[in-house]
Amino acid sequence: MTPTIKMVFSLGLAVFVAACGRPSNVSKDADHSIANATMESMLDAKPDNPVHTIVMPHDEPPFPPGPGRDEFVAACVVCHSPRYITMQPRFSHATWLSEVKKMKAVYGAHISDEEVLKITDYLVSINGKADSGQAPKGTYGE
Amino acid sequence: MNRRGFLQLIGATGAAALAASCNRVSSAVGTLSSSTNLIRFPEKTEMILLTDRPPQLETPIHYFRQDLTPNEAFFVRWHLEGIPTSVDLRTFRVNVSGHLRQPLQLSVDELRSQFEPISVIAVNQCSGNSRSFFEPRVPGGQWKHGAVGNAKWTGVSVKSILDRAQVKSGAVDVSFNGLDVPPLPSVSDFVKALSINHARDGEVMIAYAMNDQSLPMVNGFPLRLVVPGWYGTYWVKALNDITVLPKAFSNFWTDNAYRIPSGPNGTESPKDLAKDTVPINRFNVRSIFVRPDPDETLHPGMPNEIEGIAFDSGHGIKRVEVSTDGGDTWTDARLDSEIGKYSWRRWRASWTPRDRGQYRLMARATNAIGETQSQGQWNRSGFMWNVIQQVDVKVG
Repeated sequence: MTPTIKMVFSLGLAVFVAACGRPSNVSKDADHSIANATMESMLDAKPDNPVHTIVMPHDEPPFPPGPGRDEFVAACVVCHSPRYITMQPRFSHATWLSEVKKMKAVYGAHISDEEVLKITDYLVSINGKADSGQAPKGTYGE
Repeated sequence: MNRRGFLQLIGATGAAALAASCNRVSSAVGTLSSSTNLIRFPEKTEMILLTDRPPQLETPIHYFRQDLTPNEAFFVRWHLEGIPTSVDLRTFRVNVSGHLRQPLQLSVDELRSQFEPISVIAVNQCSGNSRSFFEPRVPGGQWKHGAVGNAKWTGVSVKSILDRAQVKSGAVDVSFNGLDVPPLPSVSDFVKALSINHARDGEVMIAYAMNDQSLPMVNGFPLRLVVPGWYGTYWVKALNDITVLPKAFSNFWTDNAYRIPSGPNGTESPKDLAKDTVPINRFNVRSIFVRPDPDETLHPGMPNEIEGIAFDSGHGIKRVEVSTDGGDTWTDARLDSEIGKYSWRRWRASWTPRDRGQYRLMARATNAIGETQSQGQWNRSGFMWNVIQQVDVKVG
């Protein structure tokens, strides 16, 4: 696939994300009922239907406010659920830093070196180890 | 819209999704953790949620009391956010191309009708199954012991397809790609490869059925590569491209990811990381308790049934020993009959503890060539866990 098509595909998924789920503080009730109607019709496929379609559920944990949260939300959840953070044990600053650097260097996350540090500090603040020199200031609301 | 605009829009919808929550059930399943999060995906039962996007879902251990893992409970692990959610069988084709004389485009119907079907019962296990037990902890999917399953796979051998495609001499590797796509152009597409000899061994197959049913979408509908005895990373899902190469395949997912230290059992020291690494390949020997439940209280003065599964990469499990005293003494478990060399094999033991108290149960499997489980193990990626399992139980 060409990069452009991949991005459209990705955007489509992101829209699915937004359309799915219970009413929330960002999706209006009207949107929600449309999403449910779509889901029902898509799941109503007959066994001999050659088109097989599913609608993915999403269950993304809320993240607490704090310095670096905006950068985290903008740069990280484009490609993956924040559960990639919350399922990890509390890691040291060094471990989180190497993970964020990997996202930039290996996977091409669109973040500056300054944002790498901001995001790392945020991850340490919500899921860091006390012995990493920065005591965890909160939890991620599991 | 330019690329930055796209990204901003995706970021905005992603942020909106933070508050959304579907089908979430928080409950204690009584298997491994009291805070286990369960989720129900389409065509799946309630599974242990690791991540929802892309999905990584773990099988609750009690399903392993069945020899074949139900499709709806089979573990799920994708790498890239863009996983397929709709497949039209009228237009879907698996493309066979590259270093061969007769390129092919095959529909699922053609695979079913034009090739001889074969079946195999085989374990599929994630490379990182049990990663959460490594100490020191390592980043990655924090699986407990449920990123594994055993199923009857039905489809056609890759050999029969390559024979029809007439591979040219000098072929080296065969790469396998699926419908999943990276979320950014900078992320490598998930493509894996096998050597031409391995791909043509007659056992590597393209499965269109799993336990005699279509595959669930999140398990790779409509076609999935089956590589008996090898880790799940090679079992490419939603397979739609097979390319024969006259040279060694190379990409991020083989050159940088899914590599293990070249030494025995993929082990290295956190203080002295191995210099030489190789691509992960065959399963090592391991065993998993399926009974009793960790929360179960056993009874003194009467037989208590203990049960587990054991498997390796195809040599066959020949012995499983059980200890009920923390490893001081061991007795042989009874083995159920073999149901396939790539299947797991069930073992059982009956234990009559005399006194109330805390006990540590252990199980140690050995295969036909004398390989057994490790006492201690670590590697930076958290792969190939096969340390002898310890289960602490209460008799009361």
